[in-house]
Amino acid sequence: MDTDYGRFLPLAPATLHILLSLAREDLHGYGIMQEVARQSDGKYKLGPGTLYDNLQRLMDQGLVDEAKRRPAGEDPRRRYYRLTPAGRGVLASEIARLEEVVHEAKLRLRLPETRRAT
Amino acid sequence: MSRTLYRCLLRLHPREFRRQFGGEMLWIFDEASGTDHRFLYSVMFFADAIRSLARQWLLRSGSWKIAVALAGALIQVTIGGLGHLLFGPLSQHGTLRTANAATRIDLDALVRIGIWSVSGIVVSVILLAVWVKKFNARRIRAVHL
Repeated sequence: MDTDYGRFLPLAPATLHILLSLAREDLHGYGIMQEVARQSDGKYKLGPGTLYDNLQRLMDQGLVDEAKRRPAGEDPRRRYYRLTPAGRGVLASEIARLEEVVHEAKLRLRLPETRRAT
Repeated sequence: MSRTLYRCLLRLHPREFRRQFGGEMLWIFDEASGTDHRFLYSVMFFADAIRSLARQWLLRSGSWKIAVALAGALIQVTIGGLGHLLFGPLSQHGTLRTANAATRIDLDALVRIGIWSVSGIVVSVILLAVWVKKFNARRIRAVHL
């Protein structure tokens, strides 16, 4: 198994939001768009063109897959997508990377205050 | 009306992308049209569809290679023709100053320009294809599970 996820990082904002929205449950395209809008308090809105361009790329890379399950009686045009184990690994790596960035940023921003206090 | 227009924009996408996602994109448009902010959504969706159209044709479908090859051919033919007119036998004999200079270009010269242009295009396309293949191999390394 290839677990070198570093080659996919850093993720573009759209990719990060899509992977994050699929982390909890399988969603269809419109569900992903709504979840992305919810995550960002409506500040980041994905259009269908951007969404499916990213989904196509993520499926080519093996990070997202089409879910087989489909609730009965649903519109046949509605397809569900799910995160693959590799996709979950890439997302975890990106979150760890972002945590390091945030940690570093906090350290740097705190330095002037510490100096002023001493 | 707006649905028909959006559908037309979707139909302009490359066939593979349209086949895979066209139905879902239209379904999302229908869903969003039923909400309170349908005008805002329509504007956003049209802008997104136009961007998507450009992205799919220029970046993803590989048609940009044909566009680059055609542009290269045009540049080469233009440069070749201008070079021949400026530095070739016509300029040396001063025939450029005559009104019917264009008619003096002989067939051999045109064939030479054509051969050089076609050779240039072939080399450009081969180099471009090799570069694109390497670039794609680097970019899309699927994770083997």
